[in-house]
Amino acid sequence: MKQICLVCQNVDCKSRGSEQLMKELEKQVTKKGLTDVEVRSYICFGACQDGPNIVLYPEKSWYASVKMEDLNDILNHLAGGPDVKRLDKIDASLKELIYQLLDTGVF
Amino acid sequence: MQGILFPRGVVERKEGLKEYRSRGGYAALEKTLKDLSPEAVIQEISEAGLRGRGGAGFPTGKKWSFTRECVEQPHYVVLNGGEDEPGSKKDRLLMENLPHLVLEGVILASYAVGASIAYLYINKEYKAANDSMAQALAEAKESSYWGKKILGGDFSLDILLVSAPSNYVAGEDSAAVEVIEGEEPLPRQKPPFPATAGLFGKPTAVNNVETLANLAPIIAKGAKWYRSFGTPESPGTMIFSLNDEVNQPGIYELPFGTPLRLLIEECGGGLKEDKAMKAILPGGPSSAFLLPDQIDVSLDHNSLRAAGSSIGCGVVRTVPEGNCIVEEVLRIADFFAAESCGQCPACRMETNTLAAMLKKVQQGQGGQPLLEQFSKVIGFNKGKGFCNLINMPGPPIESALRLFRSDFESHLANGRCPQN
Repeated sequence: MKQICLVCQNVDCKSRGSEQLMKELEKQVTKKGLTDVEVRSYICFGACQDGPNIVLYPEKSWYASVKMEDLNDILNHLAGGPDVKRLDKIDASLKELIYQLLDTGVF
Repeated sequence: MQGILFPRGVVERKEGLKEYRSRGGYAALEKTLKDLSPEAVIQEISEAGLRGRGGAGFPTGKKWSFTRECVEQPHYVVLNGGEDEPGSKKDRLLMENLPHLVLEGVILASYAVGASIAYLYINKEYKAANDSMAQALAEAKESSYWGKKILGGDFSLDILLVSAPSNYVAGEDSAAVEVIEGEEPLPRQKPPFPATAGLFGKPTAVNNVETLANLAPIIAKGAKWYRSFGTPESPGTMIFSLNDEVNQPGIYELPFGTPLRLLIEECGGGLKEDKAMKAILPGGPSSAFLLPDQIDVSLDHNSLRAAGSSIGCGVVRTVPEGNCIVEEVLRIADFFAAESCGQCPACRMETNTLAAMLKKVQQGQGGQPLLEQFSKVIGFNKGKGFCNLINMPGPPIESALRLFRSDFESHLANGRCPQN
């Protein structure tokens, strides 16, 4: 199944480097030949203080405070490896709200 | 029509000092400095039941007693002339045409709360209002209505003009305080409220232009007279703004409790081209829609709340039959998304997400489950911002979904309005 890798590009996440993260993700996804992965920007997940935020959908994994050095583990996960537990720190109620929104096609 | 602020309830012309004095202007200030203690002024304003006209409707006397009672010095007054509500022009027209009425209110408020400095915080786009207030300041100073030892008494007051940015949140009281301190217009977390810890951390009464314009008439003629206008819970008059949907757009000062029908049909002359009415937004973009059969509702805080909406700062919009409500609320959602200052994560997420969701609906992408998500996003974020902007998109969107569901369903099914 196609995975969408949503990278928040709102001001706060951007100020913490999400633009560079997104570019690097796009580059690496192509380089590694992950044809069933699409990297897309997202408006705002509402967890700015924990940004940059990346959500994998429809798998529903939420990675917060992502740094450049975390990308290898995330790419590994996208390639079928284990999820990156240390980056999973978002409150369950916010996750539920955002996942429901994504389920209705808002991305 | 007799008004409390505009003598005939509508704007006529700019009034200079001489003309203002000839109809009793500054008599309230003279009476106050001679006979009334600051506490007596607050008492009179409280008895009159004056409520803030900036949108929240908070009792002015109560707000002032918070400031007055603070031991910390100095105290400040801010005239909030930021006025960025779309379609609202009452504060601009008051400052342009009745600058001395506004200024006398500022001076009376300063005396009441014990302020030694007052700031006139005026939208920088309002050139004529800025000029008019600056001219009034010069005229009034010459007559010793402000400055050192006003009218030879013990009360001294300095007044300064400050240019206000013209974005929406700049009109929020704590954002106004930030701007006067030389900072960006970003609302502060509350409490503390500016009334107890505002400018430079000191007690600051921030009041809307229309609110302060009511002071001189109340002090001159008394609370009992003031209460002969309006309703027991909303005494006095309010200035309502009508825009281009009606034949006679403009501002109209009417007693609280006036039927909405009178404002729209008699003052506004009805909808242009005799169009039928589909909906009414009685209190600006953050109020809930009403249906045309609610047109006889009274224009006062309690009646509009009971009808499911709010009075806001009196900007009344009508939506003609044939217009699509999805398009209307998309415009509102885009407005709040653009005007959110962005410092509160929840507000940023909510306003952006609601606008994106409505865009999806407009384009016919998504199904019924998407419509169910609106109240969840609104409910999740309620009250999670520093200021009230986060709560503003909720009423129009939720009322639109409730009252005009078929417009949303038509968009979802066909990607277009039911009329097209």
